[in-house]
Amino acid sequence: MDEEEYQKMIKRCVRCSVCKWIPQVQIKSQKYASGCPAIDIYNYHPYSGGGKIILALAYEMGRIKPSEELRDIVYKCTVCGNCAVACKYMSTLEPIEIMMKLREKLVDTGCGPMPQQKTYIEAVKKVNNPYNEPHEKRMDWIPDDIHLDPKAKVLYYVGCTSSYRRKEMAIAAARIMNEAGISFNVLQEDEFCCGSPILRTGDSNTFEEILNKNLDIIESKGIETVVFSCAGCYDTFKVDYPLSRKYDFKVKHTVELFDELIESGQLKLTNNVPITVTYHDPCHLGRNAERYEDWDGDVVPLMPLISINIPPKPKRTGSKGIYDAPRNILKKIPGLKFVEMERIQEYAYCCGAGAGVKSAFPEMAIKTAKIRIEEAEDSGADILVSACPFCSTNLQDGIMDKNSKLKYFDISELILMALGLEPEKLKQATAEVA
Amino acid sequence: MLEKEILKEFQDIVGVENIDDGEVMTNAYAYNWCIEFVNYMEDKEPIPFSPIPKAVILPSSTEEVQKVVQLCNKYRIKFKAQSTGLGPWNQPSTDNSVILDLRRMNKIVKIDVKNLYAVVEPYVSGAQLQAETMKYGLNIHMPGAGPMASTLASHTSMAGPGFTSPQTGYSARNVLGTEWVLPTGEILRLGSFGLKNEPDWYSGDGPGPSLRGIMRGWVGTKSGLGVFTRVATKLFPYPCGTEYVLKGHSPIYDFKIPDFIRAYVVDCKNFKHLEKSFIRIEEEEIALICSHMSSYAVMAIFSYTLESLMDKIAFGSMKSPLVIVIAARTKREFDYKQKVMDYLMKELNLINIIGTKYEPESLFYAECLRTNLGYHGFIATGGFQSAKGQCDSAALCLRAEMKNKPLKQKYIEKGVIANDFGEGAWMTSYESGHFFHMEAPTFFDQTNVESVKGMGEYMEESNQMDLLKHLGVPFFIEGDHLHNHWGPHLMNYHNWLRKIKKIFDPNGVSDSGFYISGNEGDV
Amino acid sequence: MNNDNFLQNLTKICGSQNISQDPKDLKDYSKDLSFLKGKSPLCIVWPSKSQDVTKIVKLANNLKFFVIPVSSDSKFKHHGDSLPKKDNCIILNLSRMNKVLSIDRKNRVVMVEPGVTFDQLVPILKKKGLRLLLPLNPTASRSVLSTALEREPITIPKYHWDSSDPLLCTEIVFGTGDLFRTGTAAGPGTIKQQQKMGQAQVNPMGPTQFSPFRVIQGAQGSLGVVTWVTLKLELLPSTQKVYHFQSDNIQDILDLQYELLKYRLCDELVILNNINLACLLKQNQQEISELVRTLEKWNLIYIISGRGPLAKDRISYLEGDIDEIIAELGLNFSEPNVEISDKEILHFLNEPCGKPWRMRLKGAYQDILFLTSFEKIPKFISLMEANYEKEFGVYIQPINQGTSYHVEFDLHYEPENDNVVKTIKEKILDIGNRLMDSGAFFSRPYGIWAKDVFSHHSAETIDALKKVKKIFDPNNVLNPGVLCFDD
Repeated sequence: MDEEEYQKMIKRCVRCSVCKWIPQVQIKSQKYASGCPAIDIYNYHPYSGGGKIILALAYEMGRIKPSEELRDIVYKCTVCGNCAVACKYMSTLEPIEIMMKLREKLVDTGCGPMPQQKTYIEAVKKVNNPYNEPHEKRMDWIPDDIHLDPKAKVLYYVGCTSSYRRKEMAIAAARIMNEAGISFNVLQEDEFCCGSPILRTGDSNTFEEILNKNLDIIESKGIETVVFSCAGCYDTFKVDYPLSRKYDFKVKHTVELFDELIESGQLKLTNNVPITVTYHDPCHLGRNAERYEDWDGDVVPLMPLISINIPPKPKRTGSKGIYDAPRNILKKIPGLKFVEMERIQEYAYCCGAGAGVKSAFPEMAIKTAKIRIEEAEDSGADILVSACPFCSTNLQDGIMDKNSKLKYFDISELILMALGLEPEKLKQATAEVA
Repeated sequence: MLEKEILKEFQDIVGVENIDDGEVMTNAYAYNWCIEFVNYMEDKEPIPFSPIPKAVILPSSTEEVQKVVQLCNKYRIKFKAQSTGLGPWNQPSTDNSVILDLRRMNKIVKIDVKNLYAVVEPYVSGAQLQAETMKYGLNIHMPGAGPMASTLASHTSMAGPGFTSPQTGYSARNVLGTEWVLPTGEILRLGSFGLKNEPDWYSGDGPGPSLRGIMRGWVGTKSGLGVFTRVATKLFPYPCGTEYVLKGHSPIYDFKIPDFIRAYVVDCKNFKHLEKSFIRIEEEEIALICSHMSSYAVMAIFSYTLESLMDKIAFGSMKSPLVIVIAARTKREFDYKQKVMDYLMKELNLINIIGTKYEPESLFYAECLRTNLGYHGFIATGGFQSAKGQCDSAALCLRAEMKNKPLKQKYIEKGVIANDFGEGAWMTSYESGHFFHMEAPTFFDQTNVESVKGMGEYMEESNQMDLLKHLGVPFFIEGDHLHNHWGPHLMNYHNWLRKIKKIFDPNGVSDSGFYISGNEGDV
Repeated sequence: MNNDNFLQNLTKICGSQNISQDPKDLKDYSKDLSFLKGKSPLCIVWPSKSQDVTKIVKLANNLKFFVIPVSSDSKFKHHGDSLPKKDNCIILNLSRMNKVLSIDRKNRVVMVEPGVTFDQLVPILKKKGLRLLLPLNPTASRSVLSTALEREPITIPKYHWDSSDPLLCTEIVFGTGDLFRTGTAAGPGTIKQQQKMGQAQVNPMGPTQFSPFRVIQGAQGSLGVVTWVTLKLELLPSTQKVYHFQSDNIQDILDLQYELLKYRLCDELVILNNINLACLLKQNQQEISELVRTLEKWNLIYIISGRGPLAKDRISYLEGDIDEIIAELGLNFSEPNVEISDKEILHFLNEPCGKPWRMRLKGAYQDILFLTSFEKIPKFISLMEANYEKEFGVYIQPINQGTSYHVEFDLHYEPENDNVVKTIKEKILDIGNRLMDSGAFFSRPYGIWAKDVFSHHSAETIDALKKVKKIFDPNNVLNPGVLCFDD
């Protein structure tokens, strides 16, 4: 969003509060009507999407100044994007983009981001990952039996969280690709942070440097397809990178790839996995994974005060997220019973981890996770599944904190079970259910 | 900001985290929709900010509200309560005011299936309550403001027409037992809820006179006379099967249309025939929705973007459109209602555009059932407000619309409000045609000062016309200035209203910016 | 107070022919059929227009006398609410203001003065294809206006959208002597000017941010004197089909009426025990007693109706849906053993009666009436049965579209027998209090138990009511002694 558009848009919130909820017509219960973790936890209106638009306006009008108070409110948001989906059901406002712009402005004044976020940004700058882990240990997750092909045109971009924290996801993804006979490689020492955790704090300059570095490397290797098991990296590459720099390779999340492989018969799910599963749509894989479409039309004044876009300007409504692929996979696993939560797809409730919240406001992250865990419990599922390492960490923290009986797996782990490759894990999953 | 000692006292009531008097918070709460033209009409700068509250307080119970109100009395600080908070009425009229955001009071206290009512706290939205009552085959009355609005606020404090008003009436008339923190801090429980033994919510009237008459009028007191903390509101039969399946993705969800629901859009060609048709259809007691809208508004309710609105040309040339939706629980009922509609269409010489020239998205039916149609009003300019609103007979409403048309045209020609051919109107019946409500939605651009000013001037002129031509009282007559202007023309009602204010709020702490002050010019 | 001055002034306002100090008249107005004893009024005045009422109430404020508004000349007053309870009262008899001011078929509304009675209005409306929303078989000579002001329940609960129905707009003289019009009748413009613009005074709410009609309603004339009202009407059906179900189990009856009302399937819907139903159908004690024996204890009567060319279709759809509901509920009801014609039932539902039907059994009755919720009804019936050994009438009326229930226990007795009267009086007080203790909501406090009602309510309610009184009748000139205004 450019400055001109921003200045216009921040004056247009009607304070209707639909941003606090999932789309109104989708509300099926009182309990799961809300869509915004920030307002659920902090209650004051400025925590909502609309509230942040008001802050932006008040800021531009000089009514409020950069301050810790302002920074806290602006950063207590996982940028999950529900507000944008709910708002754009009818409106054309972009609460998330406005909020991101506001974060950028706070970074420019030195007020943002949060101290903890500054720390991880420094870590990325220093060791290429926000966890401040040694760069040389990035590929430690790779077991000996994984077959990599240095000449492969498919690149598996593992991401920081899977490399250092959620290794099981990286291993599972690699094993499944091996099982399907997909020739792939990893960047080894040339893999760096994708920049997502930096971008979401509003530090766009640092992000710009990172994306250029990453694209330079990938493009230099003649890669045709980049595969991600991390929803955050996927979203960043797919949606955010092209806003700064276009590229020619394809991007795919593993759920898309695996769904294709199952459909084509390259992966055969034969093992019985008798569990009841619900699926959590990661924001980065769902509503936020919808690309911006180019629009080169004209704003044509129709009559005083009313202009229309010719041709119509595409609106990111969250409808083009990756929703079917994970569900297709789950439905094809023998013996698995799939149940949905109330808030799904583009109106899924966030896990609570994103956009620097997990590091700056861990209490918010855990509270949000527990809300989502409860919803998963209410669905009747025994197992909660998702496809994002960040969701994985935070939801598992939530399960622990809530003392929930729910068990968490990444979707790739279920595929391994269905392929018969992880008998121990299957035993563990089914034992929990029993 | 509050003085430190006072802040501490408030904190002791609600907890430190539930009061905020910081610059950012209080400024954010000073903003609202349409405040810019309210400011303009009050000779202030037309910006979308009201006076900044001293603090924002989030009480969680009636007892906390009571204590906050008592403290406001002690320090003579005004308070303004808000629920879901849409609209300028939620804003303080002075900087000596605190906002009570009732968001944490969000419980559905009960759904009494056998006595057909629900009891809710302020921050239960219409969509939430409806979702729960649907589980029992029951429906709620939802105001035109939409499903995100507070059910309690609509019933206790605002105006309350809705799209399903033919079947679900008007919010003020659906109120039963109510819990009300008076401006003095006493908790008044209306009707059967005030019993010492087995208090219950089924009635809001008596013993003897009904204090509902003080609590609100046709429109509510908008937090000018205390805070409502719980209210019982009537429930209605859900109009059709309650299976609710909405697949696909936003915004055009694919709705599994219930078996027994049907829409009609007809052009009555002129006001006279519209009045006749409206009344005839409503007399038959078959409509879930029976609304007259401008042709532009008909286009809007079927559209999800401004661009797609332009495709609805089938509606564009309509002179006096009427939108009717019938719904039924059983096939017998549905067949009967369709038969009546067939009969009426013949009798009134009307043609249904739906099914002949246009087929709506399935989502339209979901929006009818969930009262989401009003929200389509925002798609043109992003800003709209109803310039006026009357409620009595169909004839009065239509005359008010007719007389308003040339006036509106004048402002359209000035380029300060959007061109809906001067016809902008929404009119519905309540209670199967016993009353009618009309309002004149007008599209303006809240970011354009000239448009804001134009809207304000048009609204004033339109209201003045109603006064002089005896076209009823518009629903935004509130605040000292307007009450003082209109009172002498309406049996000096303002003197009585002022007496009520004075005796129930002796310290004048319940912010009367959108009500009346105990002493003229006190605001 | 200077008596001469006072009479002179009243004469000047109303004319000598409209004032009476005849001792017989004064005696008549000092008693009614309740157990309350009234004082003798100073005089009775019959105003002929609102302006007279205004002047009289202003005079009362100036000369410090009290005004008891009475709407009709009906001899059948049972609740003691229009008895002078203090010295220096005058009776303001509005029965000569008895014009039907307008009937509006299109907007389904009628405007009447206080003296208009049921027997006067019902046939006029019928001719125009309209019907009044009637209480159960009202006494012909009663004022239509005061019945609505008293929030008497109507027998078609699906049309009872608000507890205030069928009352719409009003013209009132407040206790200060100020004339006021409520709802859209307030203005702008005179009634004539409003009507010229098409307004029909059908919106009772307002003006603007208060609804004074609601405080006037149920105030028993203690806040204002109403000089006309508009009332909500419905269209007269062309076909009515009567259903009468019997059961010895009240719960079965309640369960069925709940479904009928929830889905708005029937028009009239009343629940009566055998005694009250017999009282409605028969004229004398013997006939009533015979019928009581043949009827089962609980009776549900409802009517389905149609109008116009599709009346039959409507009846058939409703019958089908209702049959389905009854089958789903698995309820078995018996038909009456004795033949009761539809006409007889329709008669008491559609027409007023000459003499109160509740008096037919023994010549006198006292009623205990209150509101409650669906599930509490059986409890109150049991309480009554446990504390009143004799047979009594029961009338249960779902009101406000089924959100609450008017429950009425009618104690019939021979008025000539002093011992019986004494016993009844004691019982009434005792049972009233027991019911209140058990949570019955006496929303319309009348008679000898009226005072007890307020001791069963929160202090805040009473305080708020007193504030209202202070606003609209600061000098307490209107009907002193009623409700909670008299300490």
